Amino acid sequence: MKRSWTHWARTAAVGAVSLVMIAACSGRSTTGGSDAADGQVTLKINFWGDFGLQDLKTKYEAEHKNVKIQLNSGEYNAQHEDLQKKLVAGNGAPDIAAIDEGFMVQFRSQSDKFVNLLDKGAGSYESKYLPWKWKQSLSADGKTQIGLGTDVGGLAMCYRTDLFKAAGLPTERDQVSALWPTWDKFLEVGQQYTGKTKKKFIDAGTNLFNPILGQQQVGFYDDQEKLQMQQGPKVAFDYTVKAVDEGLSANLISFQADWDKGFTSGAFAVLACPAWMLGHIKDTAPGTQGKWDIAAVPGGGGNWGGSFLTIPKQGKNVDEAYKLLEWLVAPEQQIEIFKKVGNLPSQPALYADPAIADFKNPFFNNAPVGQIFPKMAQGLTPQYLGKKNGPTRVAVENVIRRVENKSLKPDAAWNEAVKEADKAAKS
Amino acid sequence: MSSTRAAPAPPSRRPAPERGRSGADERRLTWRNRLYRFDMRYMPYLMIAPFFLLFLVFGLFPLLFNAVVSLRNYRLDDPTLPYWAGVENFSRLVADEDFWNALYNTFGIFLLSTVPQLLLALLVASLLNRQLRAQTWWRVGVLLPYVTPIVASTMVFSVFFSRDFGMANWVLGLFGIGGADDPIDWRADKMHAWIAIATMVNWKWIGYNALLYLAAMQSIPRDVYEAAAIDGAGQWKQLWRITVPMIQPVVLFTVILSTIGGLQLFTEPMLFDPNAQAATGGPNGEWQTIAQLIYKVGWKDLNLGYAAAMSWALFLIILVVAGLNYVLTNRLSGGRK
Repeated sequence: MKRSWTHWARTAAVGAVSLVMIAACSGRSTTGGSDAADGQVTLKINFWGDFGLQDLKTKYEAEHKNVKIQLNSGEYNAQHEDLQKKLVAGNGAPDIAAIDEGFMVQFRSQSDKFVNLLDKGAGSYESKYLPWKWKQSLSADGKTQIGLGTDVGGLAMCYRTDLFKAAGLPTERDQVSALWPTWDKFLEVGQQYTGKTKKKFIDAGTNLFNPILGQQQVGFYDDQEKLQMQQGPKVAFDYTVKAVDEGLSANLISFQADWDKGFTSGAFAVLACPAWMLGHIKDTAPGTQGKWDIAAVPGGGGNWGGSFLTIPKQGKNVDEAYKLLEWLVAPEQQIEIFKKVGNLPSQPALYADPAIADFKNPFFNNAPVGQIFPKMAQGLTPQYLGKKNGPTRVAVENVIRRVENKSLKPDAAWNEAVKEADKAAKS
Repeated sequence: MSSTRAAPAPPSRRPAPERGRSGADERRLTWRNRLYRFDMRYMPYLMIAPFFLLFLVFGLFPLLFNAVVSLRNYRLDDPTLPYWAGVENFSRLVADEDFWNALYNTFGIFLLSTVPQLLLALLVASLLNRQLRAQTWWRVGVLLPYVTPIVASTMVFSVFFSRDFGMANWVLGLFGIGGADDPIDWRADKMHAWIAIATMVNWKWIGYNALLYLAAMQSIPRDVYEAAAIDGAGQWKQLWRITVPMIQPVVLFTVILSTIGGLQLFTEPMLFDPNAQAATGGPNGEWQTIAQLIYKVGWKDLNLGYAAAMSWALFLIILVVAGLNYVLTNRLSGGRK
């Protein structure tokens, strides 16, 4: 008996000693890093795609000798998930984190994990921003502002003039806009196009559903966080299923290889196009230069996407981070970014700036994008996005995909969509 | 401290070398003796400690912490919920049709992958065990899929199994199945999706298992086969009556390993989905596995408590299935235990 006790005690003692040794080795490494004694700071910015920051980084570093900027671009979803994990862990988040409006509700409800920019004097920016953009990153009680807006999407329709011509449709952008004042008319044009060419008109049912839903007064959720499927979603869903049923959709999935291929191969003739999409089309299908043009979106304004810059509270250099953040959203830098990658600023005063107002995009047949998108962004009525907006959207999009791959009958689709949305709301 | 206590202790079962001397010499223990004693008594523990420490930090602790979280309300998007949830997460699990669907998928893919995988591995191993030209080349060759990064191979398979321009459909078309007019949509129903994913798993693991079997086979004495051949046993009979029973421990090992791997399947179903970020495993969860569902519940729905409950359920399921497999395989291969 005694023997076995000492045996255990010995084992435990050795274990404890080793633990202490490991702890001693690893203790310091977490506290090291950016805060050096000579005032040097390294600021890390996490974002996705191209925010047009490369040149701005060089410029800022030249003006501020004590600051080093680390740009960390990643995949869209991965960056948001990573930020969420680091917020839970309480360690490892970047000094400045970009957040897309699609994820904003999720992070806004954790506003205690971000620096309240109102404490830093960001209140003076409220009047400079589009009112709905300012509100999107404001916490529910209105007391905490977690981010300052960078770009807004706006919404228009990009279409292929060569394919429209082949189908006997007008190609001039004003005439095309006049073709589809409403979504009903838009589907009629689609039937004409598909009837004549036997080709698909739109890229995907989901990319019809989302812009239409975005135009409704109420989205998936009302401001009491109640699921409201019978209103906005029903309207958008009916148009979508009709388009899929009539064979107008190429049934592709956004940002996948086949979808990208479709830009070059002409798998579809028209798609919903926010400002940031222009860069994507140009990058994926450089050979189609001059074959694209931009018309108005049916049913009036709309928005798709747009980002914010936030400062997680766990950072060690929040003051320096805020200085950089303020500099990045200043007019000169925002115009610089617009010129470079096409992201439209969210401060309306800039829309009058000739650098934006007179800008024509040569890739899109010299379309006056500096006019088209600001008009959309300003004419927008903001829609409340519920906390469960993301999962609910995925659930309903999946039902649309099932109609597209014919495993679900169109007339059974709506009941299924309601069921799936309910499930997502309760998840 | 320990030396004074050890002195009057009765002789233990294990021979303790330092006690070879008489009790009077104890006081004169030199530094060298102490070192020797330390080496004999404590060194083994110290050497094995890193493994147990790593297991403690990265194995046991997460396991227990997970158990605690599974009894909590841990929603990232709603920190206001009461701290403890009791067994609510588990009772919800029982009624969750997504969970049962994922369980069904996991077992479906598991059966479609593990059974053919191990049988084919056995055949490949018995082929490799013969006198072949370029023997080493073949043996290294079968291991190549195992060395290929799983993401890379899955991406290729994902294109291979695509509806419109996939090679799988082209090959099947040569045999008059599907064809260009009516291509198989591998992602539209359960059976096709399962077959596609099971193919990826089989491709990757057959070679690995075959090499394990081969190593075991080479330790079987040749005269057993000679005796069997004289008694008139053919190749097939030799494989099942001699080889399999004699490599039984390795068979058990591979069965348990592939059970664990098969029930935790994640990367393949994840990347097979063209809309991978949603983690729904197809628009109607056609091939969503449990591991994928746990990921979705935790990081897409932000319900970490419920995800933890699912992880524990998966853990228990794996224990049960691995135990069952152990018993079954033991029986089938004429076990001695």
